[in-house]
Amino acid sequence: MRRRVVITGMGSVTPLGLTVEETWQNLLAGKSGIRPNRIFDAETFPTTFAAQVPEFDIARYVKNAADFAKAGRNVRFAAAAAKMAIEDARLAPGTFDPTRTCIYIGSGEGTLDFFTLCESIAYGTGDDGKVSAAKFAEMGLKRYDALRELEQEPNMAANHLAAEHGIAGPTYSNLTACAASTQAIGEAMDLLRTGEVDTVLAGGTHSMIHPLGVTGFNLLTAISTEHKDEPWRASRPFDKDRAGFVLGEGSTIMILENLEHAKARGARIWAELTGFGSSADAYRMTDIHPEGRGPSAAMRLALADAGVRPEEIDYISAHGTGTTENDKVETLSVKLVFGPYAYKVPMSSVKSTLGHLIAAAGATELMTCVMAIRDQIVPPTMNLETPDPECDLDYVPNAARKAKVEVCLSNSFGFGGQNDSLVVRRFVP
Amino acid sequence: MNRRIVITGLGAVTPAGIGAPALAAAVCEGRSAIGPITRFDAGNYHSRVAAEVREFEPADGIRKDQSRYVKKMAKVMAIDIQMAVAAANLAVLDCGLPVGNAAANEPVLPTIDHTRFGMIFGTSFIPTELDDLAGPVRASYVDGRFTLKGWGARGIPQMFPLWLLKYLPNMHACHTGILWDAQGPSNSLTTSDAGGLLALDEASRILRRGCADWMLAGGAESRVNPVVVLRYCLVHRLATANDDPPAACRPFDLDRTGQVSGEGAAVLMLEGADVAEKRGARVYAEVLGTGAGTTTAGVNACDADGRAVATACRRAIAAAGIQPSDLGAVVAHGPAYAPQDRSEAAGLRAALGPAVKDVPVTAIKGVTGNMGAASGLAELAAAILVLRQGQVPPILNCARPDPEAGLAFVVGRPVALKSKAILITSNAIGGQAAAAVVRLL
Repeated sequence: MRRRVVITGMGSVTPLGLTVEETWQNLLAGKSGIRPNRIFDAETFPTTFAAQVPEFDIARYVKNAADFAKAGRNVRFAAAAAKMAIEDARLAPGTFDPTRTCIYIGSGEGTLDFFTLCESIAYGTGDDGKVSAAKFAEMGLKRYDALRELEQEPNMAANHLAAEHGIAGPTYSNLTACAASTQAIGEAMDLLRTGEVDTVLAGGTHSMIHPLGVTGFNLLTAISTEHKDEPWRASRPFDKDRAGFVLGEGSTIMILENLEHAKARGARIWAELTGFGSSADAYRMTDIHPEGRGPSAAMRLALADAGVRPEEIDYISAHGTGTTENDKVETLSVKLVFGPYAYKVPMSSVKSTLGHLIAAAGATELMTCVMAIRDQIVPPTMNLETPDPECDLDYVPNAARKAKVEVCLSNSFGFGGQNDSLVVRRFVP
Repeated sequence: MNRRIVITGLGAVTPAGIGAPALAAAVCEGRSAIGPITRFDAGNYHSRVAAEVREFEPADGIRKDQSRYVKKMAKVMAIDIQMAVAAANLAVLDCGLPVGNAAANEPVLPTIDHTRFGMIFGTSFIPTELDDLAGPVRASYVDGRFTLKGWGARGIPQMFPLWLLKYLPNMHACHTGILWDAQGPSNSLTTSDAGGLLALDEASRILRRGCADWMLAGGAESRVNPVVVLRYCLVHRLATANDDPPAACRPFDLDRTGQVSGEGAAVLMLEGADVAEKRGARVYAEVLGTGAGTTTAGVNACDADGRAVATACRRAIAAAGIQPSDLGAVVAHGPAYAPQDRSEAAGLRAALGPAVKDVPVTAIKGVTGNMGAASGLAELAAAILVLRQGQVPPILNCARPDPEAGLAFVVGRPVALKSKAILITSNAIGGQAAAAVVRLL
């Protein structure tokens, strides 16, 4: 028997707010989280801006702030989001079985000590331009902070959440680039459907707003370098003048439970997760299959898993990164799956104001779907000023729109070809 | 739905050799692959021993069109990714599916539905090779100091444009998927030492829910890297017995001094038993059950009572529908880092209960060091080949087993295998533990 899976709690820190509600209201208002980079000095980088999470005091969210002193931004975001999700779900300690509770989180790296890395490399570089590891280590062993180095490991977010909340069941940490947290939530659904666990903290956390992250994306020309003086205009999904995505950061964690478990403890239910589809392009390292083979497969599989027809979808939360290729191929893929109805279903990209949260993007976008169902309104794609003939669907341009929203599809397509889609719907007992 | 899952292909790239049989032979012979670090000058490191993979060719054995791709892409694949691709190729070639004739313009694996072929890899966040940054770092200095302004203006333009792609933890699956046209679910789990067995766990679940018919479950990691060795030296996890490398890794031995950095990749081909039977595949083993647990002791700690390992093993045994006394052997993680070994031993005692006296426990890291995310599945691949011969191999370098462990360690000479159900477990310090029960066929 396949159990039903419901969302009973949500917590989120994003460039647009330190709570789910704050982020949601700012999204609806079309406010942008994109600002000049103040995390590090990026003045001479090709891209000088990013969507950054406002400062917050970690002590508000954890038992002992000292345990998080060496943690990366990713871990601190996840700690805050998880605490709010657990409170939102009223999942008090002692009310759940720790070994039947699970964590599944799409998580990136910790915050690299870039100066120590570079200074140790420079110290170790010989006249031939090669680095002597022995000399690198001579400086590195003195300079590196041991615990901060261990916080580089991507499973640290899961490890911290397990330690903080006493979660002793299976925990997973995955990193399939931009698809990671959608995939995390999808696989978490299966753990709940089969009854292997009762409750999952599922979601994503990431910050690539560090010198090597921005460097890497600038080298690939994946992030926008335009609109430096008005950075809130730089993220332009589906616009003809789009020029790449804008890096964001943050975390969204959801509490997922099987329905019986949620009912037995009298939990308030936000929404029901009904479909998950997962595919790979198997095409090229960064390019999407031009015929949208992978994305359309993921969407079809998710709809079939949910048992809904395309016409039953009221809103699509697009991957919508604002790169030339993604937006074109996503549009094409939606047409393949939805046929003529593709032109009728509203589809927007919250990345236009939130930026691209990479491993945290999918969970955050799923959260916006849940809020759209609650408020019967869909968030806008901002900065959509010049139509692109190859992107001719209804992207909810520049203003939120009241709409009937019962069932939503949320898409995430990763660098490297992983494609994942989720179907979420209003919970009807 | 109770679909049965079987293992039909084994692929491994390990310090003991290329291919699962090479590793199995080293395990049987008790031959350590650990030596002085040669990959880089380890002069100032406390630990200067490692198990290094030597001379492997990721394009060996595959079709010309595939090997062209691998050769072209090798420069954008860190060694972890190259090893993963090579091990995946070996697993696919080993599983006996027709690969397709390139000369006749056939697609790869022409007899399968490629949308029902996926993969899960256990991987890690791969640190940059130092030489990739050397020039750009030097160009970034202003008045004798490294500066971000210099990096942005003069460092970035000197970087290799595809630098980021060389290190991403999902590129193992990306390249393997492209090579074999695998369009099904594809995930990359970054759960350190537990990554390989968790990949097996997730791949099995996907087959069981019917979302694929063929899944590769893999793990790959290199810890023989100036940054990773430094990181673990800083926290004193590594063996310092630099003078006698073959004896440096001593799982469960009283004289252990820590882990030895290793590297490698291992990939298994999994299929639904229905699919494998239909094509008359040779089957190595059946995956009876998997399980996982997590430590709550702290992010860099091992729980004293071993509850993470116990949870993982209990769940795997329960999922397999057997009793601990039904087990023929346990293949332990045994990294030879004392707190981790002790925690694992406590967890195994708890999970095995009264059967603990009778179930032989072996470990393989004396041969290979700690291959990180590759270890669980490399050890499983080796165990499948070795144990099928009816003997449980001894733990290399376990001369004086820790008496407090309370486990029936196989020491000195092999013992007879009494049952074909095998438990294997891996754990990451401060995090995940994973376990699987397989039945040899």
